[in-house]
Amino acid sequence: MAGTVTVPQLVDWLHRFAASVAENQSYLTELDSAIGDADHGSNMTRGMNAVVEKAGEPSTVDALFRTVGMTLVSTVGGASGPLYGTFFLRIGTTAGSVGELDGPALSAALHAGLAGVVQRGNAEPGDKTMVDALTPALDALDAGLAAGDDLAVAARAAADAAAAGRDATEPLVARKGRASYLGERSAGHLDPGATSTALLFAALAEALE
Amino acid sequence: MIGIVVVSHSPALAEAAVALALQMTGDARPAIAIAAGAGDGVIGTDAVRVAEAIDEVASPEGVLVFMDLGSAVLSTTMALEFRESTSEVRLSSAPFVEGIVAGVVLAAAGASLDEADREASSAMTAKNAQLGTADPPLVPPAAPSDAEAVAEATIVNDVGLHARPASVIVASMAAFDASVTIADADDPKRAASASSLLALMGLALGKGTRLRISGTGPDAAAAVESVRAMTADGYGE
Repeated sequence: MAGTVTVPQLVDWLHRFAASVAENQSYLTELDSAIGDADHGSNMTRGMNAVVEKAGEPSTVDALFRTVGMTLVSTVGGASGPLYGTFFLRIGTTAGSVGELDGPALSAALHAGLAGVVQRGNAEPGDKTMVDALTPALDALDAGLAAGDDLAVAARAAADAAAAGRDATEPLVARKGRASYLGERSAGHLDPGATSTALLFAALAEALE
Repeated sequence: MIGIVVVSHSPALAEAAVALALQMTGDARPAIAIAAGAGDGVIGTDAVRVAEAIDEVASPEGVLVFMDLGSAVLSTTMALEFRESTSEVRLSSAPFVEGIVAGVVLAAAGASLDEADREASSAMTAKNAQLGTADPPLVPPAAPSDAEAVAEATIVNDVGLHARPASVIVASMAAFDASVTIADADDPKRAASASSLLALMGLALGKGTRLRISGTGPDAAAAVESVRAMTADGYGE
């Protein structure tokens, strides 16, 4: 039942995400070259490598995510910088100066992150953006927690839902960001942002196992 | 003097645009800060640098920010959360080059934040008018249902309601405490404020167009009658 996530586990999450982004750099860039400006893989890799360098061993959740958010904002360069940056900064401010989070606290922090992304990018579900992976992931996390699942189990369900959300972006016509310039031609491709967000939740599930 | 911030993916682009704008000012120059590139030669934008740029030129009169595309806008909205200065910051919707030129020139002339922002964001309308392409009205016209006075008149000028007649209408509005809207009576969606030169020109109303002139405010009746009369008279041409 239940379970918590500690700061070292959150650091581990980010390290895993950085490794996953680096591993998938060419794939993310390939997706982005189809409907964007072919820089998502290199931008996210540069940003997450900087995060790994700077994350250190903070003692509180807010300190960790403040560093992560500010680092991404300053190093990513593309739209993912302010979007992922806002996501992590909001997680930090909502979680506060604590050393660990239980399921509901983690969910609340992630929801604040999602709200920040939505506010920053003005995107809604169905716009073919990272929101399309984030939203179902948090729904699944909440459903798992409400059913009394262990946090690790709920996080796995969130990762699966994020992946399904990513896959569901393929037929969508982009309504936000660079891909929206393509109109109907953006359909038939996975959204790169939703794809990196699915990697983020897969990394979280691994870190909590 | 208001401060100007230029946010771009490319330092070279930002510097060139600012240099172009400064060609058009005299010795009085506003404080201008550039936040361009994501460091280490990376093409991109950095919200922290944007926040620093805003703080650098912050003045009590405010700061007007010009952005190129995509993440420049996202980074700038984010920078508003990081900046330390407290003066008003306005994000200009103007096209990059035209906006910077208009904003810098107006700022140098001592314009307020409102005035510089308005002039810069009308650049697209001006360009559309120059090219004869359509653009939404610059100043949103009042809702017709609110009108306190209404009249109709037909344009008699051979070249329609072009720049000079539009300027005659706009100049006449200063005498009235009223808000007047001019619309194509047969296509009322094509409407503009009688106080907006560029919006009136943008309607490209031709000879023979029947105008619906409507007004609100204390002087609505007199203002509407004035526009009706000058329209029937060919705007003095």
